[in-house]
Amino acid sequence: MSTAFNNRLLVVWALLSAMTLAYLWLDHSADDDGTLRPSTVVTVSVIVIALVKVRIIFREFMEVRHAPALLCRLTDAWVMLIAVCLLGSYFIGQTISN
Amino acid sequence: MTTPAGADAPPHDVEEVTKQAQVTRFMPGQPDMWAFVLFETLVITSYFVVYLLFRTQHHELYLQAQADLDLRVGIFNTIALLLSSWAVARCVQASRAGAYRSALTNAVLTIFFGFVFFVSKVLEWVREIRMGNGFTTNEFFQHYFFLTSIHCLHLLIGFVVMGVVVYQLWSPKRRSQELVETGATYWHTVDFLWVLIFALLYVVR
Repeated sequence: MSTAFNNRLLVVWALLSAMTLAYLWLDHSADDDGTLRPSTVVTVSVIVIALVKVRIIFREFMEVRHAPALLCRLTDAWVMLIAVCLLGSYFIGQTISN
Repeated sequence: MTTPAGADAPPHDVEEVTKQAQVTRFMPGQPDMWAFVLFETLVITSYFVVYLLFRTQHHELYLQAQADLDLRVGIFNTIALLLSSWAVARCVQASRAGAYRSALTNAVLTIFFGFVFFVSKVLEWVREIRMGNGFTTNEFFQHYFFLTSIHCLHLLIGFVVMGVVVYQLWSPKRRSQELVETGATYWHTVDFLWVLIFALLYVVR
């Protein structure tokens, strides 16, 4: 029985894992001899990378790529909504605390 | 694609059937599950908003507490869940092609990687509690324990869902492609919610 799997899924998994490992580098770039430092650049990058990963999971693993247009738009709108909520609350919170 | 999988459907080349399925647009799994997924994502996102607003008010406290989390454990957890997501995506494609033995193997692999995540999570909780970081220790760990345990609850429900998928795939009489896709949609949700929780608890500065 032939089970030549769609290699695309493997590429997607490798890409998602690589993006996860990129956090290690981001983490080191923000630290100062083991002491964690606040960093807006790191925070924004981390949130954007996570959202790109979520969109890849939606489109590739959850097969939204081949779903009716409504589901494609709805999931994209959701990713945008999460982005606005996360980045918005971070920046609003920072403005309040200053 | 929600065509009923016949009991005697001959196995096809998975790649070929996947390509055929991609020509016509189809709803992956039941629409009800998608409504649940989008609703659940909204609920968790509203909690993320609360977390980020509080975090920005006490930056130093959160950073100090966050230093007790091991990023490598978080990365290991994330890759284990991504492996399980990959396995369940393969399970969907195999089942669609009528390759049920392969679909079953991948469904079991999904549960296995989910279990690896679960054990690793429990060990991390034990480690944190031993270090003196409990639910009431500080604000950061309150959010940490709340978010990780809510996620873990979803994972435990995911084991039941995948158990149903395995049960249905087992007998030719019970096989339903729609059910496999619905189960997979739920499992992927557990995965992408963790991707967000991991980013916000372990790496955000």
